[in-house]
Amino acid sequence: MREEDVVLKLKEAFGDKVSDFKTAPRRIFFYTPPEHYKEVVKFLVEKLGFVHLQAMTSIDLGKDLEVMPHLGRGLTVSVRTRVPKDKPVVDSIVDVIPSASFHEREVHDMLGVEFKGNLNLKRILLPEDWPEGVHPLRRESQITFPKPIRGGEK
Amino acid sequence: MGIITWSRIRSPWLLHFNTGGCNGCDIEVLAALTPRYDLERFGCLLKGSPRHADVMVVTGPITRQVRDRLIRVYEQMPEPKFVVAVGTCACSGGVFRGCYNVYPGLDAVLPVDAYIPGCPPKPEAIINGVAVLLAKLGGRL
Amino acid sequence: MSVNSSYERFFDVPIGPQHPALKEPLFLKLVVEGEHVVAADVDVSYTHRGVEKAMQERNYIQNIYLAERICGICNVAHTLCYCQNVEGLYDVEVPSRALYIRVLVEELARIHSHLLWLGVAAHEIGFDTLFMYVWRDRERVMDLIEEITGNRVTSAINTIGGVRRDIRPETFDRCLKAMDYVEERTKYYKKVCKTDPTIAARCAGVGILKPNDAVRLCAVGPTLRASNVKYDVRADDPYAVHDEVPFNVVVYDTNDAFGRILVRIDEIFESINMVRYCVKHMPTGPVRVRLRLNPPAGEHVSRVEAPRGELIHYVKSNGSEKPERYKVRTPTFENLPALCEMLTSKGNYVVNIADVPVVFASIDPCLSCTSRVAVLDSEKETVWIGRLEGLKRLKR
Repeated sequence: MREEDVVLKLKEAFGDKVSDFKTAPRRIFFYTPPEHYKEVVKFLVEKLGFVHLQAMTSIDLGKDLEVMPHLGRGLTVSVRTRVPKDKPVVDSIVDVIPSASFHEREVHDMLGVEFKGNLNLKRILLPEDWPEGVHPLRRESQITFPKPIRGGEK
Repeated sequence: MGIITWSRIRSPWLLHFNTGGCNGCDIEVLAALTPRYDLERFGCLLKGSPRHADVMVVTGPITRQVRDRLIRVYEQMPEPKFVVAVGTCACSGGVFRGCYNVYPGLDAVLPVDAYIPGCPPKPEAIINGVAVLLAKLGGRL
Repeated sequence: MSVNSSYERFFDVPIGPQHPALKEPLFLKLVVEGEHVVAADVDVSYTHRGVEKAMQERNYIQNIYLAERICGICNVAHTLCYCQNVEGLYDVEVPSRALYIRVLVEELARIHSHLLWLGVAAHEIGFDTLFMYVWRDRERVMDLIEEITGNRVTSAINTIGGVRRDIRPETFDRCLKAMDYVEERTKYYKKVCKTDPTIAARCAGVGILKPNDAVRLCAVGPTLRASNVKYDVRADDPYAVHDEVPFNVVVYDTNDAFGRILVRIDEIFESINMVRYCVKHMPTGPVRVRLRLNPPAGEHVSRVEAPRGELIHYVKSNGSEKPERYKVRTPTFENLPALCEMLTSKGNYVVNIADVPVVFASIDPCLSCTSRVAVLDSEKETVWIGRLEGLKRLKR
């Protein structure tokens, strides 16, 4: 399947719910708002066959948090969605792709995004004595550095 | 030096503990035990349990999650025990110094007897470090 | 369900703080019924060093050295992926000789990583002689890497815009001789692995991952290719000069740990042929193109086939000399759901506690830990603490 065919099929199925397309050899990026995020991913996985979830990247954009899963093997489709920082809730895609559970736990740990529908949203990367509610990759997070137990190095 | 000290220096048994590093130092420690470099000619044996070990070889930067486990493993070793910090990350935090999850070196957590710098130190450097440690023990004990 | 029956009682076996293969910190919690493992959960927070946050505070050149130390064994793959990413931001063409040198060093690193894994897997089975032989032969490859790049591990040959050093012509002769030696020894190891009854008994039928489970759980690397799914980033999404250097994607259909051993050994043969091709067809020209320090604003994703599977890096730049966001997704993280599936007994497929080190080692994990196990026997009400090798003797 070529990049243009995928873009056409997405535009046919979703009209103006998908926007902001960018294509490059073997890559497609586009944006969809959080309300339609799960059905777009479901369409890509079930109808167009992009079953492999490569990664889920996330970034703090100031007022919003952006979550972007990357799907596919040879040709990769990246679905961008943005949620406001004071209410960072988005639907989970765990029932469509089971291994997304680990990726969503990481995004939750690092940036604090809530995934509705993921029942296993516990800590995966941060240590067990890390304070709750402090997310290291947010720009304004105040993190404390570990204090040495013995002398020798301050 | 008495016969007990002499026999301790001739057969230091090692415990290798990786505290969250990149594995570069670990594979060089393991390579030091293989036939090309052969650390076993000093009497070193790699053991799995801290109750059997004399020397703890620690690699990697100490992360927060590992700190309590490391201290518990150290306390389970019987006296006399020695700690060797292998690699720049264990000596001073290395490339990860200043990261939010990492202590600035092994001596922020445990008393250290020998430091072997390098990123990673070559197996020859590790053998040199172990030989220096044994010489120090011979003079000190 | 009767509470008194000892076969219907579940108890937790914690494995940690070092994992059963390469001595890295990890916490593996197994829920066990009798001798069979029914569920597994993994805690990987021990090696979290805050690399992504640190990358946002250092400039692009300093980040090459940080990216290299995410994993010491696949360090060439990480620097290659990083440099490709940043070059994608600049949208610049890297000289052809640099690309060939990159592929040469990447394939040498793959050979050394697979030989390392073979030795460690043999050590997990209990076959220490094979471990010592394989690591002795691996030293020839390490000498070659040291001659080309200057260091055995953490080679630092890749840089933004090309490679840092050129290769002298004498090195190519030594390279070909070393490849002949390694090929002959690897043929011997393949014969040993295929004919030895112990390896077959410990690995065949252990750690089964069916093809549709592997696809559903998004496994990558040799774990996926031993389940008859043909997916290799070098073939599907070629980078550097992998579209010019010919090779075959190695696939087996045994779905178990034995298949993964054979996949990795065959990949060593493929890498040896790729190294020979690169040496014979190395173009002339410059090895580096100089770039200014601040890349233009934008984002880029780069994928590389590391020895353990598909490695993916994402960068977002805002025009300054430090990245705004850098994300790394390593292949072992992607294989964790498949690992938990492989450690679950269901129906006729049973996983014994003593199979756990073999299954764990077969996905070629790259975390960091020491193996200590506490087995709580609720029948006899004793606690036994010992090394994981003791568990292998417990196998009834």
